[in-house]
Formats: sequence, C-alpha cells, structure tokens
Amino acid sequence: MTGRRVLITGLGAVCCLGTGVEAFWRGLCAGGGHAEPLADPHAHMRSPLMYQVPLPDVPAEPRRLGHVRLGAGPRMGVAAAHEALTDAGLDPQARRRLSVVLGVELGNADMHERRRSSAATRVDPRRGSDEVGALSCPEDGGRWVPLTVTAPAVAAALGATGGAVSLGDACAASGYAVGFAADTIRAGAADVVLAGGAEGISRVSVGAFNRLGAADPVRCRPFDRHRRGTVFGDGAAMLVLESAAHAASRGRVPYAELGGAGWSCDAYHPTAPEPEGRQVVRAMRDGLAEAGLAPEDIGAVVPHGTGTPLNDAVESRALRRVFGDRCQRLPLLSLKAMIGHTGGAAGAFGCLAAALMLRHGRVPASPPLEDPDQECAVFVPQQASVPLSPSAVLVNSYAFGGNNVSLVLAGRQGPR
Amino acid sequence: MSGPAAVITGVGLTLPDSVGDVTDLFDVSASERGLFDREAGLRGRGMRHKDRASRLALRAARSALGDAGLLDAETFTGPAERTAVVVSSNLGNLDSVCSFVDIIARETVTGLSPLGLPHTSSNAVAGWVAIQYGLRGPNVTVCNGSTGGLDALFWARTLVAARRSDVAVVVGTEPDTEPVARLLRQQDSGPAFDGAVAVVVESAEHARHRGVRARGVLAGYARARDLSAAITAARGLDPRPVQLLDAETFTTRFGYCCGALGVLQCAAGATRLGRDDIDAVLATIGTAAGAEAAAALLLARAEGVA
Repeated sequence: MTGRRVLITGLGAVCCLGTGVEAFWRGLCAGGGHAEPLADPHAHMRSPLMYQVPLPDVPAEPRRLGHVRLGAGPRMGVAAAHEALTDAGLDPQARRRLSVVLGVELGNADMHERRRSSAATRVDPRRGSDEVGALSCPEDGGRWVPLTVTAPAVAAALGATGGAVSLGDACAASGYAVGFAADTIRAGAADVVLAGGAEGISRVSVGAFNRLGAADPVRCRPFDRHRRGTVFGDGAAMLVLESAAHAASRGRVPYAELGGAGWSCDAYHPTAPEPEGRQVVRAMRDGLAEAGLAPEDIGAVVPHGTGTPLNDAVESRALRRVFGDRCQRLPLLSLKAMIGHTGGAAGAFGCLAAALMLRHGRVPASPPLEDPDQECAVFVPQQASVPLSPSAVLVNSYAFGGNNVSLVLAGRQGPR
Repeated sequence: MSGPAAVITGVGLTLPDSVGDVTDLFDVSASERGLFDREAGLRGRGMRHKDRASRLALRAARSALGDAGLLDAETFTGPAERTAVVVSSNLGNLDSVCSFVDIIARETVTGLSPLGLPHTSSNAVAGWVAIQYGLRGPNVTVCNGSTGGLDALFWARTLVAARRSDVAVVVGTEPDTEPVARLLRQQDSGPAFDGAVAVVVESAEHARHRGVRARGVLAGYARARDLSAAITAARGLDPRPVQLLDAETFTTRFGYCCGALGVLQCAAGATRLGRDDIDAVLATIGTAAGAEAAAALLLARAEGVA
C-alpha cells in the first residue's frame, strides 16, 4: 500500500427525505421521514412498512441496461451518482477513468419479483402500472433479468470505464464498498472511485424479516425498549473518494477524510450477531487504529442501530467497551429511525450522514425514544442538534453472516 | 500494487463426476479434486439446512484449506482473525430467492421456512464458510457477472496487500438448480456448471513463515472494456511468455461456470505452474469486441517472491 490519504469530495443521495444531498440533510435536521405500508398487492405479511422514496423522486431513467429493464434501485443509483460527480466537479477525463464499487443486496429485485408474480391483478403505482399484470415479459424477449445490475448501470450512465464492481455483503455491502474503494486508492490502483449503494423495494426482504419476527409494525425504533425489529427503506447514497494528491491538484475542498476502516466477521451464526460483540469491537478498534485516532478523538457515531432487539443491545455493549463511560455523552445519530434500514446502501448512507455532520459541525437530533432501553446505555440526542466535537465520526455497518465494517471519517480540522 | 505479495498455497475442487478426467487441466491429486462420492459428501454433518451453493463451497474450501496445510482434521489452524473469505457467485441463491417469491405470493410469509431465510442473502455462502472454520477476517461476496471469479482473486490480493488479512479463502460456486437451468435455457448458455472451486491466497511472508510451498503468485490483474486492453494491463512489463487459460476452454468442458469461472482458471493455473516449464499463466475472460466486461489475471511461478 502506498499510504495515500483518501478524501471524500462528492456526495449524492435519494431517499425518503427526497432527492439530493441538501434534501437529505434538511430532512435529518427536521427529524427524518415516516414509514408507510407498501403498495405491493403481494406483500402478504403482518408489517409491510417501509420508509419509501416519494414517487416523484423515483427517476424514470435510465429504463434499461442492454436488454435488462432497470427497477427503482438502479435508477436511483444513477441519479445519486450523477449528483455526486457533479458535486465533486470531476472533469470528463476523470469521469471516464472512474471506477465504480457499489454494495448492493437487493439490486434489481423489484423487477425480478414482478416477473415471478406475473399473475398480479392489482396495480402497483411504484412499479409501473402497465407492467404489473403482464403474464410474460415480451419486452425482455423472454430473457432473464439479473439482480446485480446496479454497478454496471451506474458505470454505463456515467461513461465510467474503470471497472464496475458489485459487492453482495448483505446489509454491510456499501460499507465494505467504501472500504474497498479506499484500499484501491491507497494501493495506487485508482485516483478516484465512486462508492456507494442503491436499493429498491423488495417484498422478499421485508417478508423475510417479518417471518423472523424482526419487522417492527410501528416504526424503526433503535435503542427503544419497545423496539420490535427493523423497518426497511429504499434509496441510494453515493460518495466520490479521491486521493488527497488528486483532489489537491484540482483545488477541491473535501467533506472529510476517510481515515480508516476495520473489517471483521463474527463467524458465529447465519443471521444473529455474536452476543458478546467481540468482532464488532475489533472492527471499531481496527478502524480507529488505521485512522491513527483514539476513542476520545471521535465526536459522534452513526451506529448500525437497526431496531432489532439483539443488534442494538450487542452494539451498545460494544460501544461501551470501546468508548467506556464516554458513551453517556458521545452523540449517536439514529439514522435508521429517520430513513429506515436501507439494506446494502446503509453503510454508504451512514458515511454520507457522517460527511455532512463534519461539514456542518453538528449532530442532528434523532426521533424521540418513547422509552429508552436500559440495555442500550448510549446517548441519542433527541431534543435538538448538538455540536460535533472532536471532528471525527465513526460509522458502523453490520450484516447477516456476521459481516462487520467500521469506518472512520475525520474532518479537515480533525485530530489528525 | 504495493504491499506484501499474494501467493496461492492451496487448491480444492468440487467438480461433477460427469466431467471425467481433468488432469490435463488440473495437476492435482484425487483428494484435492474431490474424487469421492460427491453427493454423499454434500450430505451429513455440517451440510444440513444449507443451500446447494453453500454445500458445494464448503467441500471445496475444505479441500483447499487441507491442501494449504491449514487444517488439523476439521479444525482451522491458521490465523482466524486475519483470514478472509471471498466468494464469487452470481446464481448461488437464485433457487432460494425464486422459492421465497413464490411462497410469499401464494401462502404469505407464514409459509417461509426460517431455516432457509439466510440463503436469500447473497453472502450466505461466505457466512457458512466463515462459520464452519471460525474465520473472522474480512468476509466478502462478489456478484459481478462473468468476471466475478477473477475479481474475487483481485480483492483477495488487495486484502493481503492492505495487510487486512494474511490468508484469504477464495471460493467460486455455482449450483445447477431448477431456476438456474431455466435461466440458462433462456439465455441459450448451454449446460450449467454444478460445482465449486477454492484457492487459498496468502501473503508470501506468511506462507514462508509457515514453511509451505507457494504454487504461484498473483502477479497482475486488470479489468477493461475489451480483452486486449485487459491483457496488456495485467501483464504490464512482465516479459515472461505465458500459457493462456481462456474462458472457452473451461466453459466447453464444465458448462456455464459464471462466477466460478475465474477461480477455476486460477486453480488450474496454480496447479500447472512449474510443470512443463510453465513460468506464467494468463487467465482471461471476455472478448475483443468489448460488448461485456473483460478481465485478465497473471499468475506466475513464486520463486524469489519477497
């Protein structure tokens, strides 16, 4: 590795709070969005809630990549990617050389599910009223619609030729993607990489969490004693990662430095976290060490915080082991309570929020906890935003399979 | 790429018996290629409640870890917290996802089996391999189309170069399930590959410290819009003549290998380096036309690797 420093110089977003980074930040500062029932007639489940991107914010284009029709996830990915590249001010040459590394779990799942349930009789406005009832898909020539088309769809839309990679690390996918993108730059294999994630609506995912008893029928309530599981959200978050030298040559002012990443695997259970959180702790400590920071250098945390009873308890205990008694005053941003659990895009959304917190120097207030869980001894600001100090943020992202990644973002005036 | 060099120290295959003798491609012993009663080996302890892609992968991983000298019976003896799992599979959980879509529409979610739920996540295979051997390093799943296998090897090399891992188990697995067969009929892609292949990638210094033989070193890799550009970039300034391991050779022999293809090519190359005075092999995927992504991986003899 060259030891090159990696900066974040562009951001893009689409989520339930609207289109664009400004809408995202404004929405966070206003307390976040709300979960609504799916309009999917086949969502036969107790709690079909999701934090959904408003229909007018779901882009209509691009409709296809080759013969493959693109669902809402890839289309939102393209929109967020365009915003991030514009934000970064990359010239056409840099755009052509760009590598794209995306973490995508559901990908084009809505297209797949629609085909699979082609006997539908009701109309789902999000998925295209003219297509839901089709018994076959003659537009595709009867050909398969693959799931993992988001990265190539984004690369094609941008004209990026530096390679398109799809990581399938479930709900930690885009956290891993950001880490990989940084390693690629540090290794000298690229100067600029677009990293992020994009997810549409998936009946299978919501249904699977219902079947596990891990879908909250009220709203996403991380760290609340009455939490009953997570609530998914759709959307896309993109970050332009760039070597410090490349950014300096362009005179760009970064949002933040991606200082370090820690990766680990529980190797414990296919769906449940290891109760002691040993590998979660290791990922956080490794991320801090790589960034050259101590726990007291961190000013806020964007936790994985899904609202599932076990995750939040394990993560809270792990935070306690890393930050000690300082947990009582170390502010957490309960992001999933505001935009839902965005699946494979969650880690990128965490980094996006962290970069904006560093830019604005504040940690937005999270939705109020009705009954804070004593098992989760963490500090979630709820009444008003609080200053971010010191200027560094830890982002956690975990997944089925025990995949853990912790990312450390530092501000320009951070401790480093 | 700077950082420690990445070498291959183990190979494991779980191939269909129907492919017959493969010693022209893989210079491996019968135990390494899984010449056992394969279907029996996919049942029993440790194989229950797992999808076919995971079971195939577990068999291949076991063979590769054994070949690398990292198993004592069934126990992993390497550095667990510094051992990564990198899996490439595009169709691995297709049967689970299709089945779940059908069941939810027909019976509501109450019809779903909780035991099958993990397999709706694309990273289930990597999770099972980690759980089986207690591997607590980075756990990565690549769903990257035809180049996925070579991409997975690149990521393993990157993990080693970044010093995130000393060892990485790279697995390519694709099962021949009913939805896969239907997909391949639709695409006119020929018969499906039904198997898995694993290679153990390790930092050269770690392998040397353990005193194990490096079968080859991952010397170059590139992705590009067309194959000639990928080959040029992967070879760099390396002057050695290479033996070509093109995709068609493997697809013709084993069926549509999909995400397992690149790992198969690498495994073949690793077992053949040094034989017949072969100093370097070049695995290639893609065409000159540039219609799809292309990738190339250069694997060279490991003598003298620092």
